[in-house]
Amino acid sequence: MTSEKRPDPYECQPAPGNQPPPPPAPVDMNRRAALRVGMTAAMAVGSVAVGLSLRDRDASKKTKTLPTIKDHRAEKPAGATDMAIVRGPDPAVNVRKAIEALGGMGRFVRRGERVVIKPNIGWNRTPEQAANTNPDVVAEVVRLVVAAGAGKVWLTDASVNTPEQCFARSGIEKAAKAAGATIVRPDASAFREVNVSGKLLRTGDVLFPFVEADRVINVPIVKQHGLSLASMSLKNWYGVLGGQRVKLHQNIHLSIIDLAAMVKPTLTILDATRILLANGPTGGSLADVKQMDTIAAGSDEVALDAFGATLLGLNPNDVGFIVEGMKAGLGTPQWQNLKTVELGG
Amino acid sequence: MRILTFVVLALIPPAFIGWMVREGRRAPAPSAVPAGKARPSGAEADKTLLALFEGDLGGGKIKEKVALYDEKGLFDYIDGAAPIFIDRHYRKLAAAEMASADGADMVCDVYDMAEPANAESIFSAEKSPTAKPVADFPDAIAGPMSFVFRSGRYYVKLTAFDAKAEAALPGLAKALKGKMK
Repeated sequence: MTSEKRPDPYECQPAPGNQPPPPPAPVDMNRRAALRVGMTAAMAVGSVAVGLSLRDRDASKKTKTLPTIKDHRAEKPAGATDMAIVRGPDPAVNVRKAIEALGGMGRFVRRGERVVIKPNIGWNRTPEQAANTNPDVVAEVVRLVVAAGAGKVWLTDASVNTPEQCFARSGIEKAAKAAGATIVRPDASAFREVNVSGKLLRTGDVLFPFVEADRVINVPIVKQHGLSLASMSLKNWYGVLGGQRVKLHQNIHLSIIDLAAMVKPTLTILDATRILLANGPTGGSLADVKQMDTIAAGSDEVALDAFGATLLGLNPNDVGFIVEGMKAGLGTPQWQNLKTVELGG
Repeated sequence: MRILTFVVLALIPPAFIGWMVREGRRAPAPSAVPAGKARPSGAEADKTLLALFEGDLGGGKIKEKVALYDEKGLFDYIDGAAPIFIDRHYRKLAAAEMASADGADMVCDVYDMAEPANAESIFSAEKSPTAKPVADFPDAIAGPMSFVFRSGRYYVKLTAFDAKAEAALPGLAKALKGKMK
């Protein structure tokens, strides 16, 4: 098929030299139409840009000005143990042995540093009901941090039930105060808005010690959880956040990872002294509680949660936030492949 | 035809701007929840639910106001345990801090499950394998520090924190069940 150039009836002819310049050529109709379409397209493109900027204007303004929680992880000395698992009847002894096996609290906390300790104090439950971290475990962690020379030791959690009841009934407030911690209850004035920069959560109101601390120590309990299967190290970061909890549960595994990626703790001490096997996270009946007399400690929250999942009879690969945590580069579920020490209490 | 094309093209930009602005301001949509069938109506059912806490409570006393939690608020009370109730067409929870006759603390949670079949379903789902059935109290189990039963469309969880409160739970359960007829 051949194409033939059609003559343009409106094409200008070259003007002879002795003639006055010809009047301006009329704009041809095709060009005019093309101009209109082009202008409309340009308006559309401009509008897209304006729309996009309007859509993100508030969010970007906020995230630019909000503080970001720093990475609290400590550098690992060459040859240091990654994870310690201690079993024995005395929770405080188990904590001490686990930290000693990791190289001592001095590996994680330096003199004068401000440290925040985050147990699970979410529930109006006694220690025997195993919905909160064991108070003896928490107290021992506080003592070790104080002994390491910390300048300030905060202890806090955004409880689910009434905070006054949770802090008292759990036994944690009394034990931690006696050991030297400053208790920060989750009153409205204790929260600061920060940049979460997560896949689901852009910003959030976080308890202020997590913004101000040099070091963060996570002290979760191992328990079954109705929605996420388990609540351990990674899930414990729900307790840094204020506001309504319903939005967090719409994609629980990813929101867990958003918060875990935001905090990046220095050290995690997983409390499996008593574990809640069913009806978590609230519990209540002692029929659902199993005495395990176990403490696991380390810096890899994914590894610790993979170990904790096995205590609950779960395959770590079936727990969404463990898999997502590994994908996000927060750690490995193959805790057996880490340099791990297992001890009796 | 050209005018029509121009008008259509000209309308695209403002429409697009409007859509972008609306998207930017819109909160994430809540997850879909299946609706229960023939559910009791809100205000009337709330009244019936709160009436369970009036009068004799087996010697127990309410320490503060009874709190009501709807589907959205349930997460603020039981966190990740909420979906198993919502999936079973849960309607509302009435929760009360209580004290036994001798002053021991206990918690009384009455879940209005909208229909008896939903209450039966949650009772079966939450039943601890090691919890014991209660003599002369059908559809009830007692674990240490806990007494759980279902009656009609209600599912009730009573929690104690010490032996004194634990001893008061059966009396409170009987009083509540008597009002659920």
